[in-house]
Amino acid sequence: MAPDQTAGLQVPALITSPSDVSRLHREVIALNEYLKQAALRSPGQAAVKLPKTSRLLDELVIDNKLNLLDATTREHLIGFLADLAEHAPIIHISFATDPSSAFLQKIVLWLRQNINASILVQVGLQPTIAIGCVLRTTNKYFDLSLRRQLTEHSAELIKDLKKADVTA
Amino acid sequence: MTIWWLGCILGVMGAAAIAFIWVAVRLGSGRPGGKKTDPNYADAAEQEVEHIFSTEFREELRNRGRLHFEKIIGENAMFLQQDLRLTTSQLNDYMKTEITRKLEEEFGKYEQSITDAKQLAVDSIQKTNQAIEEQRQLMSQQLLKVIEAEKIHLTERFEQNMAEIINHYIIAAIGDQIDLSDQLEYILSELEANKQAILEDIQRGA
Repeated sequence: MAPDQTAGLQVPALITSPSDVSRLHREVIALNEYLKQAALRSPGQAAVKLPKTSRLLDELVIDNKLNLLDATTREHLIGFLADLAEHAPIIHISFATDPSSAFLQKIVLWLRQNINASILVQVGLQPTIAIGCVLRTTNKYFDLSLRRQLTEHSAELIKDLKKADVTA
Repeated sequence: MTIWWLGCILGVMGAAAIAFIWVAVRLGSGRPGGKKTDPNYADAAEQEVEHIFSTEFREELRNRGRLHFEKIIGENAMFLQQDLRLTTSQLNDYMKTEITRKLEEEFGKYEQSITDAKQLAVDSIQKTNQAIEEQRQLMSQQLLKVIEAEKIHLTERFEQNMAEIINHYIIAAIGDQIDLSDQLEYILSELEANKQAILEDIQRGA
């Protein structure tokens, strides 16, 4: 595998949060250590059984067609994940309830297609949101909830209420 | 009138007493050992007197006088009794009249006092009622002002927090029925609307 194989790696939609990246990073390091130790073994000894990898790592490897048996690829992958954990843009999104994995993947997919390919998302809970979400970037706060819509259109609502009151 | 009658009766009684005393004195003065006169005439007079005013005659006179006096006394006592009865009756009438008049006066004064007190109480109650009515009207106006101010305040607060109220109502009413999957389209459209701002902030970094 060429050393620049990890240069254009795509982050799967399954990997959403910084904690996912950190977990992957630790997992790849452990795998790398395990395979290094296995390579040091003398030939003819009992066959080495690879440790079971996580679904996140499987997705990452399959999506990017990586060969983890290649030490250079693993090293580059470790570097990539470290760089991702350190430099990837992180946004915080709060929902009224805990989002499902599929739902979150769709949101992350949109963000990676439209905002940044390696963006990571931290999910929070705000039961008062009711409908919509609240998004917080490094410097800004975006209220994408129904509350903001109601606040923006409160003048029209008050007018309608007064009209209804007069009619009544 | 009654006093005059009483005076007359007392005068008659006094005159009768004086007459009685005079008769007694006169009879007493006829006794031996009286005024000294010529012994001859005196003896003769004494003899004549003794002859005329013998003991029986004097006793007769004394009895007559006593009877007359008793009669006069009896008559006067009867008159006095009649007068006393009359006086007592008049006095009773007078007392009755006076007491009645006095009582009527007192009752009148008492009634007047009661009427005055009643009027005073009525005036006081009317003033109190008037004051209460004024106070009630004042309080009513103040209450109306406070209610109006509170209404305006509540309306303003409602208008200011209307979004929060409706949001809270929506959460309470259908919060457990809202599915995030149903909101995906709305959230994506909102993200699309704010895409440029998010992109700029992400590119600008920390």
